[in-house]
Amino acid sequence: MKRLSFFVTIFFVVSLFSVTAYAQEVLKLGIPLPLTGTNAKFGEIEKKSYEIAMQEINAKGGVKGKKIVLEFEDSQGKPEIARSIVERLIDVKKQPVVFGEYSSSCSKAISAVAEERKVPYLVVTGATDDITQQKYKYVFRLNPTNAYYATGLMSFLNTVVKPKTIAILYESSDFGTSGAEDMVHQAKKAGFKVLVKEQYEKGAVDFRPILSKVKAAKPDVIYMVSYVMDAALLMRQIRELRIDSKLYAGGAAGFAIPEFIQNAKEASELVMTATLWSPQIAYPGAKEFAEKYKKLYKDYPSYHGAEAYSALYVIKDALTRAKSWKPDDIRAALKSTNMMTAFGPVRFQDKEGYTNQNFMDTLVMQVIKGKHETIWPQKYASAQYVYPIPKWRERK
Amino acid sequence: MEQLELFLQTLIAGFMLGGLYALIGLGMALVMGVMRVINLAHGDFMMIAMYIAYWLFTLLDIDPYLSVFIAAPALFLFGLAIQKYLLTPVMKVESILPHNLVILTVGLAMVFSNLATVFFTGDYRSTPVSYASNAWYLTDFWSESPIELSLSMPWTLSFVLAVVITIGLWIFLTKTDMGKSIRATSQDVDAALLMGVNVNRVRMMTFGIGMILVAAAGCLFIPIYYLYPALGRQFTNVGFVITVIGGMGSTNGAVIGGLILGIFESMTATYIGMGWAPAGRFAIFVAALVFLPGGIASIIRKRRLGK
Repeated sequence: MKRLSFFVTIFFVVSLFSVTAYAQEVLKLGIPLPLTGTNAKFGEIEKKSYEIAMQEINAKGGVKGKKIVLEFEDSQGKPEIARSIVERLIDVKKQPVVFGEYSSSCSKAISAVAEERKVPYLVVTGATDDITQQKYKYVFRLNPTNAYYATGLMSFLNTVVKPKTIAILYESSDFGTSGAEDMVHQAKKAGFKVLVKEQYEKGAVDFRPILSKVKAAKPDVIYMVSYVMDAALLMRQIRELRIDSKLYAGGAAGFAIPEFIQNAKEASELVMTATLWSPQIAYPGAKEFAEKYKKLYKDYPSYHGAEAYSALYVIKDALTRAKSWKPDDIRAALKSTNMMTAFGPVRFQDKEGYTNQNFMDTLVMQVIKGKHETIWPQKYASAQYVYPIPKWRERK
Repeated sequence: MEQLELFLQTLIAGFMLGGLYALIGLGMALVMGVMRVINLAHGDFMMIAMYIAYWLFTLLDIDPYLSVFIAAPALFLFGLAIQKYLLTPVMKVESILPHNLVILTVGLAMVFSNLATVFFTGDYRSTPVSYASNAWYLTDFWSESPIELSLSMPWTLSFVLAVVITIGLWIFLTKTDMGKSIRATSQDVDAALLMGVNVNRVRMMTFGIGMILVAAAGCLFIPIYYLYPALGRQFTNVGFVITVIGGMGSTNGAVIGGLILGIFESMTATYIGMGWAPAGRFAIFVAALVFLPGGIASIIRKRRLGK
């Protein structure tokens, strides 16, 4: 009984707060993000990027005269916590639109809640394909899905490398598994033979057993779907075992952020990775955002940052165009989104089995002289690609 | 030939991993033997040592292998303090739960990993030493060799140091008075007390030595691995499994248990699939409990008595 009254009081206090918030002409938006736990790194990048976007929007007068105030809630990267955060945002704080979260598993959990409560949810970074394949009416996705992460890389492989065989290593998570499945699918379509397809537990100490297996199979391309530290360890041990393939490629995530180079050092040289975005890309606002971020935090943001930064603009755009700030009107506004962001063009389409999915070009980056350079498609390239790559033995 | 190369490379990898695992297991087994308590904060103590090594490397440019000499004494003192001000008082309390010490260590583990997140953020860190991906190759020494085997330099260094430390511990336990007291206490507390062993002092020393071992393990792990605040749990797990395989509290058993676990994990990774390695770890854990409840120690004891 005591407990119940405690919760009731909390509930009243909270709702009181939200009432005063509306009175003050600010728009409070809660964002679930992993701020602690193993994905905290990415949560932090996104938080900083949302904040930059918020300041820019507020400096230009906010949304329909209301200043945006972002409230970040720590999901610890756990789906059940992400879910309860969003339930609270929708049920208690009556937030008419939800966005954010980093991992696919959390985004999936939130999607189910959003659809059930009929509140639009914008997925910002979760890349597992099936999130937008459920025919959910209220779930939108800004980032391309896993299946499309590698389209840029595939076009590079088909035009330049023309491999016959491929080995796929991936971490045993939602993201890793779906990335690997899609690669298998794409490889079949392109006629590569998959020699090795192995999963590993995230955080493994020693990859040499599976790498020895890869070495024995002699694939033309080694494709890896990993987060950052696993990526660095994998490349270090590939260098140590002198596994000579024509190409080492990563499927975004861990391979695409500067920490990969810092930790893998010389083993990262000439490694390619699929990516969705890079700081030098020619989208309007991309460079400005990247420089601003670098000035504040001493490092360029990863594509996750650009996604988060642009997500807030997409939300702002939808809120500005919506007839009212009721969930259904916001949904309708999101559906008709057609804008350019720092992350690229955004338009939510229903095609190829996806609902409300944004489709876009993906890029390939290569580590050249210790720096990520965009190399493909050539119209966006910041440097000429290095291929063929020398054997380990011949490198210094 | 390729199959042979694969097998040998896996065996080497497993052996080295096992040697390092053994060092983690040793510290846990030693504490377990004397204190009759599973220290579930073991991995988190290792995390602390790794942060010491990391900061020494980043700020003062001290090689992680040299920081053993700083991290180990630091953790030794830290261990003494924990033992004196936290474990001993709890040990004296009569409680319904016989395992309140275990609960205390779980609490410590949580406090440590959360404090690390607060102070050092959740960032992944590593010490990119210049020789991180150097290695020796069989074909460099013997160019006609039909197979190619490689030996990673930091891994080999870590392994050799782990062996040296293990031998050092063995000498300490068998040759010195303190070591003998520790073994006596571990075999029978009451008998040791009657023989005039200062059991409380022995307990403190043991916990301190356990900390030295885990600090060394941390310093040996950081050049080949990486570091983040929640890393402890994973290695506590490893230590726990080794302690069970080895036979609760047996140091000899822990060394063999560590090697078995390392080789077993590598073999599973190569011949079944790396995703299965954690499952394999559990399988071996359960198998040890069911078929060999006394652990490897019971086999060793049986052979000795048989003579």
